[in-house]
Amino acid sequence: MTVHSAVADPRREVGPPLRGIRHHRVTVWVTMLVASVASLVASFVLAVEALRLAENPNADFACDINAVLSCGTVASSWQASVFGFPNAFLGLVTEPVVITIAVAALAGVRFPRWFMLAAQVFYTVGLAFAYWLFHQAMFEIGALCPWCLLITLATTLVFFEMTYVNIRDDNLYLPRRVQSALTSVIRSNLDLVLVVVWILLLVLAVVLRYGEALFA
Amino acid sequence: MSKQARVRTRELREVQRVAAEQQARRKLIIARVSGVVIVALLVAIGFAAFTAVSGGDETAAPDRVVAPANLTEGGAIPVGEADAPVTVEIFFDYMCPACGAFESANGEELDRLVEDGTVRVELRPISFLDRTSNGTEYSTRTANAIATAVDGAPEQAWAFHRSLYAAQPEEGTDGLDDERIAEIAQEAGVPADVVDRFGDRTYEGWVASVTQEAFDSGVTGTPTVMIDGEEFDGDLFTEGPLAQAIESAAAGQ
Repeated sequence: MTVHSAVADPRREVGPPLRGIRHHRVTVWVTMLVASVASLVASFVLAVEALRLAENPNADFACDINAVLSCGTVASSWQASVFGFPNAFLGLVTEPVVITIAVAALAGVRFPRWFMLAAQVFYTVGLAFAYWLFHQAMFEIGALCPWCLLITLATTLVFFEMTYVNIRDDNLYLPRRVQSALTSVIRSNLDLVLVVVWILLLVLAVVLRYGEALFA
Repeated sequence: MSKQARVRTRELREVQRVAAEQQARRKLIIARVSGVVIVALLVAIGFAAFTAVSGGDETAAPDRVVAPANLTEGGAIPVGEADAPVTVEIFFDYMCPACGAFESANGEELDRLVEDGTVRVELRPISFLDRTSNGTEYSTRTANAIATAVDGAPEQAWAFHRSLYAAQPEEGTDGLDDERIAEIAQEAGVPADVVDRFGDRTYEGWVASVTQEAFDSGVTGTPTVMIDGEEFDGDLFTEGPLAQAIESAAAGQ
């Protein structure tokens, strides 16, 4: 591990430095830190819920009137423990890794390229899993739990920041043309627009599907 | 600096200036387009939320409420002797898996207690799980069917009720189709002329209004079971505890 330094790094992109508050390293890593802490808290709540459910099958088994926003229905579905144990356990194991990366980076640590590439690969799998669960909850189970929604949102933010960092620092071993195209996307803040639009679409989907239950 | 070098510097500056202008123009276009997209999405969200709010009011106040005949004074579906010492009131939704578990744990015992005159069951079907049947409104369709059955063939309502749970579909599926519900009713002994009236959907308004009344009376989930008006808070999903509570209530009188 080396101390953060813009000068000594040979893989730094040429071109004017990225300016503005959203490109500041504190903004980037703090966003990732806050999102991963939120995910960890949500995973913890869901894990406790799952244990309570396992202890006493009657708890939360009854169908809640506000079932759209109830974890009981979601927690007792097979999708809630795809690998034979509650999915929330995965969050308990993986989110601390993200938190550690964010804190270390804030403290000035620069991770090797292969390390960040591996983090990107694993987190992309995590993101795909989170969205598969979101889709299942919406269209198969027909219920939505606020903690699961928080995890979906936080996972999206962490993925966004991690991808941003990895493109900025050229960590992904991409072909030069792709790399420079992605760098110009970051320079023109298109990535930020993309994530805002993405999150708004998420909100729209939830309101369209559950609006009546949410507001009525 | 030679004149040539000065010219070259000026040309270079010109090229840089043009490039900077182009980049600025590109940024402006991106900012405008993304601004429009984001505003459009916000409007869509607001509109969806607004529609949901006004849509919710309509379901809360159905225009046409026709209650089936043969209900109790309190508007429930009665099963068993009117003068039985204990009354058990059950709020349920035909789509609710927990209600299915309740029925399979307690159905036989309730049957026995109804038969020997210990208990009168009051069924209160509600339809709050309509959204979990992919838009086919299974909860409303079945609640309307049981209401039609009690209107035309009150003696068969209990058997029909139990058969519906015996054939309960999984939550989140389309549920049983209308033909299957009709078959189940006929197998349970509901006469064909009554079964034919399921399709009239006469009591759907009533179902919506009793669902709202259940919410308003403080029911927070299904199954909710009341023994003589007091909510039973024991184990609903194991055979025994409910029957014991009913029997001790009967003995206490």
